[in-house]
Amino acid sequence: MANSILSAAGLIFLVFGVFVFFTAVLGLYRFDYVLNRMHAAAVGDALGIFCILVGVILFHVPTLSSLKALLILVFMWITSPVASHLIAQVETVTSPNLKSECKVERR
Amino acid sequence: MTDLKNAALTASAVLLAVLILATLVRAVIGPRFTDRVIAVNMINTIAVAIIAILSVRLKEDFLVDVALVYALLSFLTVVVMSRLVLVRHWRKAKCTGSKPEEKETEEHGE
Repeated sequence: MANSILSAAGLIFLVFGVFVFFTAVLGLYRFDYVLNRMHAAAVGDALGIFCILVGVILFHVPTLSSLKALLILVFMWITSPVASHLIAQVETVTSPNLKSECKVERR
Repeated sequence: MTDLKNAALTASAVLLAVLILATLVRAVIGPRFTDRVIAVNMINTIAVAIIAILSVRLKEDFLVDVALVYALLSFLTVVVMSRLVLVRHWRKAKCTGSKPEEKETEEHGE
C-alpha cells in the first residue's frame, strides 16, 4: 500500500519533470538572445532535474540509491548557478552588440 | 501498477531523448558559441535525468553512480570551456591596454 502510494507520487513528479524539460527546450527555441535563452535553460537545470530526481528518490526510497540520487540533486543545485554565472560572464565579455540586446531603462 | 510504472518510465525516457535531439539541433543552429555551450549544458542535464530514470526502469543501482559522475563531468565541461575563453580574453586585453576596465567604468557611468 505504502509502496503503491510512493510509486504514484513518483510518477506524478516524473511527468511534471518531463513537462518542465519540454518548456525549457521550447524556451531555448522561442527566446531571441543568449542571455534570455540562458534563463530558459536554468529552468530545466533547477526545476526539471529537481522533479525528476525527486521522482527517482521516491521510487528508490528504502535503499541507499535514494541517498545517492539526493546527492546528485544537491550537486546539481550547487553547480548549476556557477555554470550559469560563468556562461553569462563569457557572453557579456565577448558579445559585440550587448548594448542593443539588453536594453536598460534610462531614468 | 508495475505495468503502468514501467510504461511511464519508458515513455518519459523516450520523450527526454527526443528533447535531447531538439536541443542538439539548437546547438547546431545557434548563432553564437555561448548558445552552443548553453545547449550542451542542457543536453548534459537531460542525460543525467535519463540515466536516473533508467536506474529505476532497469533496476540497476549502479546507474545512479554513473549519473553522479556524469553530473560532475558536465559541470567540469562548462567550467573549463568558459575559463579558456575568459583567460584568453583577459590576456588579449592585457596586451592591448586595459580595455575591459574602461568598459566597466563606462557601464557604471550610465
